[in-house]
Parts: sequence; C-alpha cells; structure tokens
Amino acid sequence: MNLTFFFQNVVNALQWGSFYALIALGYSMVYSILMLFNFAHGDIFMVGTYIGFVLTTGLVALSAAGIVVLPNWLILVLTIVLAMLFTSCLGMLVERIGYRPLRGAPRASAAITGLMIGIILQTTVLSIMGAQRVLYPSLIPTTAYTVGGVSVTNIKIMIVFVSIALMIALHQFVQHSKWGMAMRAMAYDYAVVPLMGISINAIAALTFAIGSALAAVAGIMYGMAYPILDPSMGILFGWKSFVAAILGGRGSIMGACIAGFLIGFIEIFVATIFPSTLRDLIAYSIILFILVFRPHGLFGEPYSARLRL
Amino acid sequence: MHQTTSTASHPRGSLELVRRFFANVPLLAWFCGALVAVILERAVGLSMAQSLGMPRIPVLFGFLVFLKQPALIPGALGYVLLMNILPICITAKIGAPVFNLVSRILYKMPLVVTALVHLAVLYAVFHFWADVNAYRMIMLKMMLISILLTLSLNVINGYMGEFSCSHPGFMALGAYAASLFTVGLFVNDQLFGPAMMTSDYAVVFFPLGLFFTGLVSALGALVIAIPSFKTRGDYLAIISLAFTFIIKSVLENLEFLGGPRGLSGQPDWSSLPMVFIIVVFGVWVINNFVTSTMGKALNAVRDDEIAAEAMTVDTRKTKIIAFMFAAFWAGVAGGLFAHVLRFVNPSTFGIQKLAEVLAMVYFGGLNSVYGSIVGAVSISLLGEALRPLEILKWIIIPLLLILVMIFRPRGLISFKEFNIHNLLKPRG
Amino acid sequence: MKKSLVGLMSLTVVFLLAMVLSGCGEKEQADAPKKAVENVIKIGFPIPLTGDIPDVGESSKNAAEMILKQVNEAGGLEVGGVKYKLQFIYDDNESKAESAVAATTKLITVDEVLAIIGPQASKQAVPAGGVADNYKTPMISPWSTNPNATLNRPYVFRGCFLDPFQGPVAANFVTDEFGATKAAVLYDIASDYPKGLAEYFKKAFEELHGPGSVVAFETFTTKDVDFSAQLTNIIRANPDVLFVPQYYNEVPLIVKQAGALGWDKPIMGSDSWGSGDLMGLCGDDCKGHFFSTHYAAAGATGATKDFIEGYQAVYGKTPDDVAALTWDSVNIMLQAIKDTGGLTGNLANDREAVKNALGAVTNFDGITGEMTFTPDGDPIKCAVVVKIDDEGQFSFYESVCP
Repeated sequence: MNLTFFFQNVVNALQWGSFYALIALGYSMVYSILMLFNFAHGDIFMVGTYIGFVLTTGLVALSAAGIVVLPNWLILVLTIVLAMLFTSCLGMLVERIGYRPLRGAPRASAAITGLMIGIILQTTVLSIMGAQRVLYPSLIPTTAYTVGGVSVTNIKIMIVFVSIALMIALHQFVQHSKWGMAMRAMAYDYAVVPLMGISINAIAALTFAIGSALAAVAGIMYGMAYPILDPSMGILFGWKSFVAAILGGRGSIMGACIAGFLIGFIEIFVATIFPSTLRDLIAYSIILFILVFRPHGLFGEPYSARLRL
Repeated sequence: MHQTTSTASHPRGSLELVRRFFANVPLLAWFCGALVAVILERAVGLSMAQSLGMPRIPVLFGFLVFLKQPALIPGALGYVLLMNILPICITAKIGAPVFNLVSRILYKMPLVVTALVHLAVLYAVFHFWADVNAYRMIMLKMMLISILLTLSLNVINGYMGEFSCSHPGFMALGAYAASLFTVGLFVNDQLFGPAMMTSDYAVVFFPLGLFFTGLVSALGALVIAIPSFKTRGDYLAIISLAFTFIIKSVLENLEFLGGPRGLSGQPDWSSLPMVFIIVVFGVWVINNFVTSTMGKALNAVRDDEIAAEAMTVDTRKTKIIAFMFAAFWAGVAGGLFAHVLRFVNPSTFGIQKLAEVLAMVYFGGLNSVYGSIVGAVSISLLGEALRPLEILKWIIIPLLLILVMIFRPRGLISFKEFNIHNLLKPRG
Repeated sequence: MKKSLVGLMSLTVVFLLAMVLSGCGEKEQADAPKKAVENVIKIGFPIPLTGDIPDVGESSKNAAEMILKQVNEAGGLEVGGVKYKLQFIYDDNESKAESAVAATTKLITVDEVLAIIGPQASKQAVPAGGVADNYKTPMISPWSTNPNATLNRPYVFRGCFLDPFQGPVAANFVTDEFGATKAAVLYDIASDYPKGLAEYFKKAFEELHGPGSVVAFETFTTKDVDFSAQLTNIIRANPDVLFVPQYYNEVPLIVKQAGALGWDKPIMGSDSWGSGDLMGLCGDDCKGHFFSTHYAAAGATGATKDFIEGYQAVYGKTPDDVAALTWDSVNIMLQAIKDTGGLTGNLANDREAVKNALGAVTNFDGITGEMTFTPDGDPIKCAVVVKIDDEGQFSFYESVCP
C-alpha cells in the first residue's frame, strides 16, 4: 500500500467516522445519565436531517423569490441553528413521552419504547415527505483539492473540523460548567443526586436536547456529504453508532468519539485491504473480538451490580 | 372451588360478572365450544355470510372487512357474533356440566393423557378454522412459529436477563441448515443435483432434520455463550448484534447457498400438523426447562451473578446451556419458517426481524411462557389484521407497544408460571 | 347428574343442527362462485407500500391507477363481448418475504383475484411466485430478475429482461464505444439484482478481454452511503470504465463521490438508472454517462410518449422503470384476459385460460419494447443504450436485440 493511497483512505475514514462519532455521542450521553438505550436516536438523526432539508429548501426558495435575500453561508448558519433547536425539542418530547414514564422500569422496556418511537418517526416522515428520495440542496459548491495525490473536498474538511470542534465544546461543557457537573454527578449516582436539589427531569431533558442537537448538526453535514435522503436512513446508521457508543465504554464521552472514528476506520480499511465483499463479516468480527478481550469496552468502567438490565 | 377467588378482590363491574358467569367452565369446554363454532362455520358460514350481505366468510374475525368496506361492518359484526362468539359461549356454558364430568375423569388419569386430549381438541379447532381458507392457514403457521421463536428468546432475555440481539442469526442458521438438509437430499435441484432420497418418509425425516438444524444453531450459539462469561449486559448485546450481522454477511458470501439470491425450492413439509406438533413439543420442553432447577439457576444468574456463584450455581455452565438451548429452538423455528415460505434469503434475518421478535417478547411479558404465547399471537394477529391500513399500521402497532410498556413495563403477563394442572382442572 | 343430562341433550341438538345445516351449506357453496363474479375483474397487487422500498410500491400503484382510470372511464374491459369493470386491490407486502406470501395468499384466496401483478423485488417475488403457482393463479412480477421467480412455474411470468441478456449488452457497449479493455464494477452485494448483473457483466467482459480484465470488482451493502474506500480502490486500479448496476437513488452518491475522488472517465449503468428522478437527484454530475434500459425517454414516440406525458400530468414527475414495467405488465395481463375470448365466471377455469393466453402473447407492443414470453415466462425484448445528454435528457444512442 503506497503512502498516497493510505492517506487517501485516512481522509475518507475521518469523514465517515465523524458521523458515527457524533451520533454515538448522543447515545453515550443518554446512556451515562439515564442508563438506557435510546434506540430512537438514529431516527432522531433522520428527522434532524429532514428538518435541515425543509429549512434549507425553504430559505433558498425565499431567497430565490426575492422575499428575503440571504447569502448561502447565512442560510447554512440559520439552518443549523434552527434545526438544532427543533430537533432538541423533538428529543425532549421523546424523552417526556417515551422514557420518563419508564424511569423505574427495566431498561430493556425503555429500549423497546425507543425502537417503537423510532418506527413512528420513520412512518411519520414517510407519510409527510412521500416515498421518493429527496435531494439535499447544496449550499456550498463542492471543490476538490489534490494535495500530493490525495483528493480532499472542502466539505470533507468542514465535516471533520466541525465534528472535532463540537466534541471539544461538549467536553468543555461537561467538564467545566455547572450543568455539566450536574450531569456528571447524575451519571455517577442516579439515586443520591436528586437529593442534592438537582432535578433529574431537567438533567434528562438537557441530555436529550444536547444529544439531539448534535444529531441535527450531524444530519445537516450528512445531507451535504451524502445528499440523498430517505426516511429509513437512520436505522442502520443508528445501530452502527450504537455499536460505537458501547464499544467506547458505557457512558464514556471520549470513548464514544474514539470508537466512532474507530468503526469508520475499520469499515473503510477492511473494504480497502480485503475484498469488499467481506467487509461486514470482518468488521463485525473485529468488534466482537475487541469486546471479548475488553469486556467493558475501550474506556468503560468494570461492570458493577447496580447497572444491570 | 371457584376460579374467581383470586380476582374477586378487585371487581371490575360487568367484566367481573361475565367472569363469574363463566367461572364453572373448564378449559375443555372452551376448546369444545371453539370446535363447535369452527365446524358450524365450515358448514353454514358461507350462506350465513351471504345472507348478512357479505360475499364470503370474513377470514380474520371481520377485521379486514371493518377496515376496507365500512358498509359491511354490521354484517361482519353480526357474523362474528353468530358464528364465533355465541356458539363458543353457549356450548361452553350449557355444556359445562358435561365437560366438567369429562374433565374430572381425565383429571384422574396421568397428566400426559389429559394434556393430549386437550391438545387434540385444540388441533381440531385449528384444523377446521384454517381449512376454510388458505390465508388463515399461512397465518396460523406463522403465528405458531413465532410462538416458538418468542419463547426461545424469552429464555435468554427474560429468564436469564441478558439483552440478546442474536435471534435473527440463530434463526438464519436454522433456516439455512434445514433447507440444506431437505433441498440437498430430497429435491431435484440445480444447485445440489438430483435427490438422493425419496421424500416418502417426510414425516420421519423432517423432524430429524429439524433436530440437526437445532444442533447447528446451538453450536453457533457458542460464539456468544463463551464471551458471555466475562462480557455482560450492554456489551453482550453488542456481541450478539455483531453475531447477527456476521451471520448475514457469511450467508451473503456463500455462493453455494445462493448468496443474496437465497435458496428456494424447499419441499412443502411444514404442514399444519407438523408445525403444531413441533411447536407444542417445543413449548412443553421449554416450559419444563424453565421450571426445572436449571430455570431457577437462570433466574439466579439474572438477579445476581456473584450471589448465584456463591450458592454453587455453575454460572458458566448455566449460560452455555441457556444460550445453546434457546438457539436450538430458534433454529428449529427457523427451519419451520423456511419450509412454510419455501424460500430463504439472508436479508430476511436482519434488524427488522430483530425488532419484531423483541417486540413480541416484551409485549407479551418477560419470564413467562404465557406471556410469550400472548405476545406472539397478538403481535402476529395485529400485523395481519391491520394490513389494510398500510402505512397507518406502523403508527398503531408501535403506539400500542409504547402504551403497554408505560402501563406494564414488564409486558402484559410477566413472571407467571405456566401451571398445567391448574389450567386443565375441572371447574365445578 | 340431571344438569349434565340437559347439557348433553342440548349439545346433541347443536351438533345435529350443524349437521343438517351443513347439508344446505354445501349446496349453496356449489353455486356461490357464479354469483360472486358480477362483471368485475379483480387483479391483486402485493406491493411494498411500507418497509425498505416504499418508493417502488408507490410507482407501481401510480402506474396501475392510471390504467384503472383509463379502462374504467372507457366503460370497462371488453372480454368476449361483455364489459367488465376493473377492480385493483393493493396489499402491502412491507418489503418482507413472509408478508409477501401472506398478502399474495390473501389476494388469491380471500379476495379471489383473477390474476396477480407483483411483487416487485425478488426476495418477495420468489416466494410469492411459489404461492401463485400453487394456487394456479397467473402472476407477472414486473421487476424481479431472479431466475427462480419463474423457473418451473408455468403460472409465473416477469416483465423485465434478465441479467444474462443485459450484462453482455453493457459489456459490448463499453468495448465498442470507449474501446475499454479494463473495467471496474461497483455493486451492492446484499441485493440480488445488482449482484446478478455485476456477475454477468464481469463474465461477458472477461470473455472479450481475457481473465483479469475486470480490474476491480468492489461491493458494498444495501443502505451504505459512503463508497470512498471502494472508489479509491477502483481509481487506483485505473480501469477505462466503471460499471454501476445500481438503483437511481444510489447512483448520484456514487457518481458524486467518484468525481470528488478524481474519477473523470465514463460510467456505465443499467436499467435501474432509468428514472426521471435520477436527474433531479444527481444534477450535472450524471451528464455524459450512459446506461442500458428499456426505452429512451427523450424523443419517445407513440404510446411511450403518451405514457410519460400522462404520468407527468397526474403525478408531477417522470415515471421510473418500475412504473413503466408495471404499466406494461398490467397491459399484457389485460390483453391476455381479452385473448381468452370470454370469462366463464368459474375462477379456476378463468385463471387457467388467462395463463394459457399469457403464454401465447407474441410481440406485445409495450412501452418498454416488444415482448414475447419464453416457455419459462421470461420476456424476450430489446434493450436500448441511452446517453444522458447535456440537457439532462435520456437520449437514444443505440438499440440491441437478443
């Protein structure tokens, strides 16, 4: 494998891994605080992408009609901000309806609720948007640069940088803000923290809001990189990110990011080195082996009796 | 004496009245009532339906009619009342004294005899009901198979308390192994050449083949069982999910099994008696398994692994046996499934199937044989009955499940032992 | 004891009543079918309205609804001098094999349809074909390319051409047109249409240029969106042409990503590219590429033009290959029903007659070309290669007949 070829694949894997990492973050945060699988997260990501699509299309149409003329970069920023807002609301709604009543229930039941909410979200989008795929409008024209034989586009660079920036921002928030401290405390001990005057409902809602906002950003970037949307796009993506979240270690935010990138790298490099026919086979065998030899994920704490299904 | 004693503490008005009214009706009477109803339907169903203004017998208790042709609703309701509800209730109530007499005689005999008589009547009900229409037949077979599948998943997810996502994988192993067995040996096929044996003894060979099929799945389960010694909970869920993806990917790559095109041409050996007998046998074995000391060991592992180990439960052995046992029956269910469809392909055994089985287990109830039966029957019936709604169906069924989860987080009927004695005893 | 005697007596009465009534019932059952068919022809559509590919179900339904409206507004279908109203029954197969079997069984035995159109994807068409053949009901799957769907099933037909024909068409075309001696293929391994076609293309191309001339044979899995690893491999192998037998909703992603990675050579596609939506989704990136298909939309004449314009007028978009093939399949079925010369009202006999008429259809002039069925129930028809021109139109390039 020559060097150019190698770096080309590294660049590809960075882009692909960014999406897994961003979605896995959402899983991992809910996970560390409420200790449940939010199986609806993949579909929240899907809805976020569609919200982004509707907003962008609407704003572009408004601009084109000359009602409110906005430059493309402003449309993008507006779309991101509004989509984050709406998707956060959706996330909080899902938490309120689907998870809060189940707080005392076995965690697996909450997982089933999540799965079902996911199906409802898909069906709703399918009935509103119709069965045809839609094209995400491109706001920034794609430009390809070739650096020493490695082909990079401006979109790729943007995706990787925005994802890493978001991860750092999230890390700062969790480590250095009051709310972040409350969240960490909640993750540490779920039963005692409410006694300290911190509302578990507020923290849960906040967690879902942040996770969903990240999913919305991921969705918009996804729309720019892979501009064809369909209502079932969240399923497989969601499950794979879920794999990343667990692989990273329960509730470890850094673990989820690293595992997200790791899965991106595994998928890309397996397809490159081996016959791509065997990609899923080899990629999942690697994941299986990692978990056999590291039963608590990459950065997870050892299993404790409290965290049982 | 009366069954109502347990429920009398919280009466619910008219429902309680109905329950009291039928308190003296033994199970045998209900089964015989159903038998009368289905025989009656077979005899006069069509003319009854036509005189009520419908072109044919409503196949699914009128559901398909309600949703598609609202004009016929009164007719369909009348039909369901006259052909299904009334005959059952009247026979059961009027015949109660006779059936109690028979029940009492049967009750004195060995349990096996009593159970077999009940099952024979049940089979007759299924037979006549499904005989009216081929659609009922296929639905019934699918329903029976999903009972077996759900129950086998409940062994792991309910009794042992792990969250296993590997059932589509086990089922796929079973479906392919059974297809390989029958297509390879008994069918003239382009992939495997001419038949090596005649299919005259299908009744013997098929169960035998299914047994080997189950063993193949059970071997596959070792891939998950061995890591489960150290890896637990969510991490094990991922291992099992990876297993499902791996099996799917292997099958897609195996050219001699048809790859993504799948394997077709299975002989039509999943007849109703075959499916019924194997499923009933499976339920019986699983019920014995979970009520044995092994079942208690499973519960102990679920509730506290370290404490279980301290109480001399061999947790490793328990886990291996539980996984292999559950995979065995999932494989058998897969084999039956392949022969009902007479086609298998890898993409059938993906995430969609997983969601379906999980829904059945958690809807019905954890740690309960009753629950699994209820879950499998209601989800498959709902799936068929709401089919005319098309897209709306996928809002109604999930909503229903969410409601069940909110109000009964462990499922409709959870942690309830399957008490055969109590079920079969005379009621008066 | 007395109580139980009363019970026993009443039971006997019920049983006797059932026996007596069953005698009457059987008599009525015998003449029931005659009453049931009152100048209505029912055709069933087990199509995927939900699940993985709801767009396929929607296109099928759209095309069928157009025909239904046309025929019924003209007073119905005339068969042997009698006018029959058409009734189309759509049932959702959820894009699952088991649901396709259940839905097809329901259509045949509960709704008592005369014939079946669908299911579309092979994973549903193969098992559903088994059901249709079992109940001796004629069925046409417009879109399934798996040979097993029709193999040894006299009652099952298909509307599209098979991979062994289309693969070589593409291989010959790239050889003649681009002088290609090295080719690459990118396809979805988990889906059987792309896989079959990719393999036949490889076989045909290697027969022309020797083993190893397909320098990259890369795969992905359904629902994948990132093809960068495969495309990087392909670009490194430096082929003259890339063959992508994928659906129109995946093509734009592949073409765009290939462009971003520096691919500037031609890309060849298959009939699954042929949707009006392709250009809407792909934009300028797809211009200049070629694909083999059933008809060229640009400059279409006659029935094809009417169909495209009619479809656009009703649904506001250009029809895709599913819609066109469904349109033809329904029309062939209606033609076969007419050819029977008259329906008896006895469902079993009528189904048999329709099957025989279908087998006898020769040179049916459909919008996707002239069709004649082989004894296996597969159509013999011509393929055309179209070029996506600078206006984004699918313009005719050449025609290849078997």
